[in-house]
Amino acid sequence: MRRRVFLGLTSAGIASTLTGVSGLILWSPRAHSATVSKTFYITDGFIRQPDGVNVYFRGFSNSTSSPDVPGESIIVQEGDTLRITVVNTLATSHRFVIDGLADSGTIGGGQTRTFEFSADTAGSFLYYDSINAPYNRVTGLHGALAVMPADSSEELYAGSPTFVQQYFWVFNDVDPAWNNAVRSGQIPNGNFVPRYFTINGLSGRPPGASGAMDPAIDSMADPRTRIDGHLGDRTLIRCLNPGMAQHSIHTHGNHMEWLSKNGSVRAEIWEKDVVPLDGNGGIVDVVFPYEPPPDAWPPVTNNTLQQAESDGRHFAYPMHLHDEMTQTAGGGLYMFGALTDFYYHSS
Amino acid sequence: MGMRNRNRDGGGGGGGGGGGMDNACYVYPIRPAEVPALDSDPDVVFERGIYMNGSMNMDDGNTVTIWGFTDSAAGGMGGGGMDGGPFPSPAMRVTQGQVAQTRLNVGMMMFHTIHHHGIEPEYRSDGVGHISWDVNGTYTYQWRPMHAGTYFYHCHTNTVLHAEMGMYGALIVDPPQGPGTAFEGGPGYDVEAIWAVDEIDSSWHTLPWPAGTCGGDVGLNELNPDYFIITGVDGAQSALTHPDVAVIMYRGQRLLVRYICAGYLPQTIRFGGLTAEVVASDGRPLPRSFQATQLDAVSAERYDCIFRPTRAGVHTVEIDIKHWVTGAVLGTARTRITVL
Repeated sequence: MRRRVFLGLTSAGIASTLTGVSGLILWSPRAHSATVSKTFYITDGFIRQPDGVNVYFRGFSNSTSSPDVPGESIIVQEGDTLRITVVNTLATSHRFVIDGLADSGTIGGGQTRTFEFSADTAGSFLYYDSINAPYNRVTGLHGALAVMPADSSEELYAGSPTFVQQYFWVFNDVDPAWNNAVRSGQIPNGNFVPRYFTINGLSGRPPGASGAMDPAIDSMADPRTRIDGHLGDRTLIRCLNPGMAQHSIHTHGNHMEWLSKNGSVRAEIWEKDVVPLDGNGGIVDVVFPYEPPPDAWPPVTNNTLQQAESDGRHFAYPMHLHDEMTQTAGGGLYMFGALTDFYYHSS
Repeated sequence: MGMRNRNRDGGGGGGGGGGGMDNACYVYPIRPAEVPALDSDPDVVFERGIYMNGSMNMDDGNTVTIWGFTDSAAGGMGGGGMDGGPFPSPAMRVTQGQVAQTRLNVGMMMFHTIHHHGIEPEYRSDGVGHISWDVNGTYTYQWRPMHAGTYFYHCHTNTVLHAEMGMYGALIVDPPQGPGTAFEGGPGYDVEAIWAVDEIDSSWHTLPWPAGTCGGDVGLNELNPDYFIITGVDGAQSALTHPDVAVIMYRGQRLLVRYICAGYLPQTIRFGGLTAEVVASDGRPLPRSFQATQLDAVSAERYDCIFRPTRAGVHTVEIDIKHWVTGAVLGTARTRITVL
């Protein structure tokens, strides 16, 4: 299983600023900026898809072994310096780019490059390989960076609506023909026809399916992806799309508060049960407020959740992309696509 | 392949009827012990059956198979499914704050659900199989809508196929003052139109209801639409004049268009030279309305648009349905607003 790795800080004596609790990211602001170091290994390999097909991927990985797709999510704070080392274990050239923020330059096959940049703007960012665009990116060389506002653990940007926990949903669409072409050093010919749809590199396994509730492969179980909360646990979700297709993010249970689009703060916050996510690097930030579902009768309270737990029932709602082709794998297998669940727990 | 009906904990969920279900996998029969009690005195009850043998006549002379819901209280089929029915499915209309029940009757050894899209009820009334259950037989969803606005309902079993096949209808929540006002504190309107804009890939419309649920490539990853429709009417020609879609109004009147992006692909709607005041989206008033001559939308978004035309004229409204990767326009549906 690809887990979040907690970044070490190069400055001795500064306490770790990242803590992981059951898939939740708790952020503790620092009074002073720091230099945050992270090493990625560009690796490749095959990842088994829900229909049993092994598909080739490349990734910004945490080790030299199988590819991590997406690369690990990173959280820093405004003013921090990121010192990124990219070890390219492959024979092909690659590059680490964050639009407007960072550019490693071309890293030749077998080369290692260390570079620094300043995280000077709060928000959500996509890191990706800009070489051979968009093929390297879509084949898995991408990941997410969050820059928190200085001195704040609960805002997307200074003055934003607040949250108590945050998640990343990195979506991707996979056309194995494209990935195979990248593997053999060719430019894919033909249209992009995705056959697999992932969220944080995983896809759904519905109850009863092989692998259901296995956090290593089921996006409805992976603690980076599935969201758990109590009433009032406002949750920031940073949604990034290195894939090719435009998508429709749909939550059940609560409307989302739509805070940002493609790096720009929205002038007004709309409450939406569907938020559009552009292809080719689109980013939106939303808050799922974890309010009682407003249209329930009788109303849902903490007692309702306690009763469900006492009965052994799961009180949950799905998030799925509403461009429903994304809910399939290999041309069929509904619910083996890009979906996950929100679980409501009692306090 | 045999049935694999499981509950979400992976245990045996019960057979659900054995054979005759076209080898459906990953459907979830009702667990009676978990069915919640219903309010004994609801304000409104919607009765819905199923039809699986409907059809839509296209402007090019072809017909396409359509599935949907019937209003079984109004004499529609009670769930047997072998006949046709209205497309889109009969609208639900309810007043904010009313306790509503939707009684779904599914027969013929199939599974379906009703998800009231944008309505956020208790999870067992949400109509999502893997969270609660799919319905074979009769089940009643209970909800109390608290926000006036534009919604729709659709089947959430093998959704990718069932919604494409036409299993959806409008769901309108009126404010306490009733139709004629968009929402409490919102604008009034004299004329109302519901435009559910959808694309149809006729190659999908020959599949059986569980297609793809047991694996196998049935092409559900790829939607290549050949028809572009508005509220069940072909947008090639018919929707320009069809009375269920095209609007005829008088100067000085206020028109509310409830625009529903009912397909899966991105759309751009252009208002034919008219300017909309966009007042709400997804069943929520916008913090500040805005003016628009066109709007982009993705699957299942809704926008409530007020028009106050001051001059007589004919305005051709065009909705482009676009490729989800390239953005290329795959087709355009058209209707009209005629101002007298």
